[in-house]
This record gives sequence, C-alpha cells and structure tokens, in this order.
Amino acid sequence: MSDLLLAVGILCAINTGLALLLMLAEAVIVDTRDRSITINDTQIVTVPGGRPLLAALKDRKIFIPSACGGRGSCGLCKVTVIEGAGPLLATETPWLTAEEQKSGVRLSCQVKVRRDLRIRIPEELFAVKQYQAEVATLSDLTHDIKQVTLKLLDPPEITFTAGQFVQIEVPPYALTDEPIYRAYSVASDPCQPSQIELEIRYVPNGICTTYVHKHLKVGDRVTLNGPYGTFGLRPTGRELIFIAGGSGMAPIRAILLEMARTQNPRPCRYFFGARAKRDLFLVEEMRRIETELPSFRFIPALSAPDPDDRWEGETGLITEVVGRHVTNAAQAEAYLCGSPLMIDACIQVLREKGMPEENIFYDKFA
Amino acid sequence: MKQSKRDDIIQGQMRPGAITRDGMLGVDRRTLRDILDADDAAVRRLGLTHATIAARLRELRAAGARGLGEPIRVDSDLEIRVDSVCGKLPCPFGHPGLYPKEFVEVSNLRTGERVTFTQLNIHLIGTHGFYEGLDSPFRQDPETLARVLGITA
Repeated sequence: MSDLLLAVGILCAINTGLALLLMLAEAVIVDTRDRSITINDTQIVTVPGGRPLLAALKDRKIFIPSACGGRGSCGLCKVTVIEGAGPLLATETPWLTAEEQKSGVRLSCQVKVRRDLRIRIPEELFAVKQYQAEVATLSDLTHDIKQVTLKLLDPPEITFTAGQFVQIEVPPYALTDEPIYRAYSVASDPCQPSQIELEIRYVPNGICTTYVHKHLKVGDRVTLNGPYGTFGLRPTGRELIFIAGGSGMAPIRAILLEMARTQNPRPCRYFFGARAKRDLFLVEEMRRIETELPSFRFIPALSAPDPDDRWEGETGLITEVVGRHVTNAAQAEAYLCGSPLMIDACIQVLREKGMPEENIFYDKFA
Repeated sequence: MKQSKRDDIIQGQMRPGAITRDGMLGVDRRTLRDILDADDAAVRRLGLTHATIAARLRELRAAGARGLGEPIRVDSDLEIRVDSVCGKLPCPFGHPGLYPKEFVEVSNLRTGERVTFTQLNIHLIGTHGFYEGLDSPFRQDPETLARVLGITA
C-alpha cells in the first residue's frame, strides 16, 4: 500500500515538475518583445510579440472579421502577409486555396507575431470601429427569433450600408470563459446611425444566441464592432428577387427599408420562407412597404402550415414557390440570405430560370 | 488494444479548446483506445457495423436537407431538421478536409426521443468508430442511435 502511495506521489511530482517546466519554457522561449506590423505600406503599429496577429491587431483597434473566437474554425480572418509570418500551419491549409497560399494569404488567428510583419488588409477594414452600446429594446419576433435594438453610446453613431453586418461581443458567462464575437446582419435602415437593430435566432447551446435569448436585458451594455461585408444592393436597375428564411430577414429588411425611404422604383419581389404561421414575422411591415413601393411584392410561403393557421397564402418549400412565380430571370438579379441548404437550392432554381450566376448575391449562415 | 503514442496525440485533439470548445471526450477518463473498444463491442452486440450506422446517418441527413433548414417528415415516425452555423471543423484523427458545422436534429415522433448529430459525427463513426466520450455534447450512444433512428441488422 505504501509503495503504491509512493508511486502515486512520485508520479504527481513528475507531472507538476513537467507543468512548471512548460510554463517556464513558455515564459523564456516566447519572445514578447515589441514587434512592428506594417499595414498596406501606409501604417505601422507596434504590438507585443507572441500574440496571434488577429488579437494583436484588435488591441490596436484594427478589426479583422472573425466568427469563431480565433480557433481557426471559421476561415473569416484572412489577411495577406507579405513578410514575417513563418511557415503555413496545418490548421490554416484547409481554409486556403492553392492560389491564396501562393500569394501569402494567412488566417490571422493562427499567425503568431514573432517577428516584424508586413501585411495587407482590405482598405474598408480601416473604417471598422469598436462601439459601446446599450440594449434599448428586446422583443420576440417569433418563438425563436429576438429583435435587439442597440443604442450606440461611444461613438454615438455608425455609418453602414444596408446588408452589412456587425460583430457583437459576448462577455464571459456560463457558456464561455472568454469573450467571444459573433456576426449578425444589421436589420435597420442606415439612415438611423444612432441605433441598430439585429434579429437573432436561438441556436440550442449556441454561446451567443443563448446569451442574447436567456441573459441579455434592456439597459445592458454591449460591445460591438463593424460594419463588415459587401452584401448589399448593386445599383444596376435590374428587376430584384429577394429570398430569405428565418433571421435571413435581417439584411433584406435593411435594404427594403432603404428602398422604401428613397422610393427606389426597381421592380422587386421578396420570397420569405417559414414553416408555419408562428415562424412568420414583420409581415405587417412588409405589407406597409408594399403600399409605399408600388413595384414591391412580399410573398411569404409556409412549408408546413398548421391547420389552425388557416393559411391561404403560398405553401411549399421556398424553392417550389420561387419556381412557380419566376418564369424568366435572365434580366433580374437576386439577393439571398439564410441557411446554406436554402441558398444552394435557390441558386439552382434561379439558374434554371436563366439568371446568370454573377447576378446572384448571397449571405450564407456558414 | 493498447493505447499508442499516436492515440495520445489524437486524444489531445479531442480535449476542450483544441478543436471545439467543449471537446469530444465529455467526462470520460478512459483512454481513446478503451472508448473505441467499448463502443465497438456495443455496436457488435447490436449486430451492426460502424459503416451501417454512418450510412443511416448520412441517409437521414440527406433526407432532412430537403427541408432547406425547416423540419421535414421522413419515414412515418421521424422529423428531421438540418441547420448550420458558421464554421467548419477538422477531424481529430488528422484526416484532410473540414466538416461544416451542420446539425442534424432527428425527432422520433412515436417515442418522443431526439438525437442531434453533425457531419463530423458521421465521419468519426463511419471512418474511426468514434462516438465521442461519455456526456460529451455530441456523444452518439450506439444503442440510442439504433433505437431512435430504427437502425436494424
């Protein structure tokens, strides 16, 4: 028995020793001296060495989009590193095409700042800022989608285009021991720069959606950054087809509110897919926009209406409804937002109706 | 079978924070080899193979995908919803490629039971016979899968 205790004791001592050795190695080997990052050959920032590039840039108020908290599982935080990044890591290669790898594109969450770096980022990211906001209103749009209105405090206004998204920070709470960021499309009209609206669908066990649905209260402070993204109306004059489902309503709503305000005369139809009546929302607002924009039609469709719904509108999958309504899409352009499955299926239908792929724009939840 | 050095490395990839926030081991204190052996025995007791189970999951995922993100009735007893969140995950065993963060929720309307699996689960079961550790968020108990999804020998 005493031999066994001795053996366990020795094993614990060895483990403790190894852990201390690792901590010591981390402290000694990781070079935390200041390093410079030259951005687009126009701006130089100094950061402490050893940190991931994504976090180092964020500390200097330069925000690269990222949706996974720096775990290398979203592939959004790409930057071009011209000098100083070291070899590509196995965690990066699945996200990068051969062309990207050749031209120095890297995942900024995976690149550690160990030397001076020269990087290139899209110019529009310089316009991205961090904002402090307060929850002004919280309301249930459906049983699983909440509308969150955020009043901006510092800076007090945000400039964005309809269709863009922001990232909101979830502070540490039961489901996360570190702050994490998640991206949500802005659902409000850009003409209201002092507040933004988001439509957030609950994902079971989702860190951010659980926080918003179960913990967030009116009056709470929220940190966000943005705006990001290139999804938005192209000024072509073509007929418009919008297709969305669930919280994919958000960016399309922002575009439509702006179109109504500016009296955009382009003919447009909006196909919105839901399962049953309880999953539909903002129908009255869409009907109001129909009265304000004579060339706009809202076409909600239910895939499985309840008998109690007494639904007399369109039924079936959204692809079937689009297929029934759209005969020739060769001269139109489309904007899609929702689940990847829905978007991929709708792209196929639109192409069958003659729409060139370059006229189909989408914002995939993936 | 005895746990190898390579098994240790793979098991390290399954710990919280390596690939996923919660990891793939749950509260399991066993070695990866022991987890694999125990589930392999459970699958054999059911008269099934890992390939058969993975094929059924793949079939249900494909049927559910036709709902385009909304729940859809499949067979007489099952309702399936396939949904996605942003991101993709690598295989902890080091296979090339990434698996989308896609959730397949299958409800058995007759029994009221529900299972949720992912594209990565399908790969881990079919290729590695790995069903995740006890109480892991995406643990797929072979007996539960067989019962809820109607997988028979």
